Amino acid sequence: MTSVVSSIEACIPALRRYASVLVRDRQDVDDLVHDCLVRALDQLHTRREEGDLRAWMFAIMHNLFISRARRLKMSGHSEPFDTIADDGPGVQAGQDSHMERRDVMRALKSLPEDQRTVLVLVAVEGLPYAEVARVIGVPVGTIMSRLSRARERLRRSMQGEDVGRPALRRVK
Amino acid sequence: MTMPGSQIGEDDLHAYIDDHLAPSRRLAVERHLAADPEAADRVRAYAAQRDALRAAFAMEASDTLPAALNLSRLVEARLTRRRASLRMVAAGVALFAIGGGAGWLARGVPLEGRDAMAMSVLKQQAMATHIVYAADRRHPIEVPATERDHLAQWLSNRLDRHIAPPDLAMIGYHLIGGRLLATERGGAAALFMYENDAHARLSVVLRPMAANLQSPQVEASNGPVNLCAWIRNGLGYAVVAALPDSELDRVSERIRVKRPPAG
Repeated sequence: MTSVVSSIEACIPALRRYASVLVRDRQDVDDLVHDCLVRALDQLHTRREEGDLRAWMFAIMHNLFISRARRLKMSGHSEPFDTIADDGPGVQAGQDSHMERRDVMRALKSLPEDQRTVLVLVAVEGLPYAEVARVIGVPVGTIMSRLSRARERLRRSMQGEDVGRPALRRVK
Repeated sequence: MTMPGSQIGEDDLHAYIDDHLAPSRRLAVERHLAADPEAADRVRAYAAQRDALRAAFAMEASDTLPAALNLSRLVEARLTRRRASLRMVAAGVALFAIGGGAGWLARGVPLEGRDAMAMSVLKQQAMATHIVYAADRRHPIEVPATERDHLAQWLSNRLDRHIAPPDLAMIGYHLIGGRLLATERGGAAALFMYENDAHARLSVVLRPMAANLQSPQVEASNGPVNLCAWIRNGLGYAVVAALPDSELDRVSERIRVKRPPAG
């Protein structure tokens, strides 16, 4: 039990990262992580031993986020998550690394929620595609197409292209 | 170029960036990229993206963890919840057995309206009382335990009901004495103070309340000071000390078993 608890504790930074991709407000981030930890402790006994603990906790958080979003929708709140960042065009190449980090975050936040979650779980957290599919609850093929769209959109956004219009599909 | 059946698709490019390819497939992708500068550009851009994202998240991670996310606290809170519900089951069984059982609410039912307000004032008064008087080495009480009968008679008169200091000697708490307390509404309440062999002080606050108010046991804390309180038969009870919850539970149980006659 104690070792599992310390493994859960080790997941907290990753959970905060993922929560910050799902919701914007800092208080909402901490609330989501808190609820996720409480639920994880409650459901610990139902967890199968195999499988990545971190992916299991991401899945709990994702489900909490989905039901929260549904609740807000039902009560008439509009979710602000997908508001496009207000800043002007992206900065051209040749920027320093600080600018680059700020820009990449801004560009990430301008992605639709289903794309930025996949991109962060894959690129930042390094989860295998099958685990990402389990966390989000969609087939691996859907994960791959979201990943592809997220990367391309982020690339164009970083190059300062207008991403407001859907990009032409690349035909190979 | 590429062998038949080994066409490199979009998924392969991503798996290459994310390092999810077997070595042979990886080689095949590298050959493909060498022959397709456009794809190679994209792969380089995606890899740079990944590095920039990781660096950006690493920058944001520096702030400290809020107390609400302290896992050992969450674990402890969870154990307390579970212990409390087990205790209420036990209490329900005991009350059923003696055939009384007037007025215990089921655990988990949130207190509402007047019950909740009554509990709130009881908790505040008891916590403040303990913090002020238990810290006073010389004058924590007005009437010492050596005048136990006088203390009981005096407080019974002032509170207009039969009051006696609970006997906690069997579980290691010796009565020091008691004092009269004023409530914020101009009423009278009582404090009995105890000490254990380690000289830790424990306060028991009794506060008359409207006869129809009821509350199951609730817990609260203020820094190191913990509190258990409940309302029963028109009397609010609070046990306060800088001691673990489990210890306060033990004392509260003892008081309920050996409760002074109410009314």
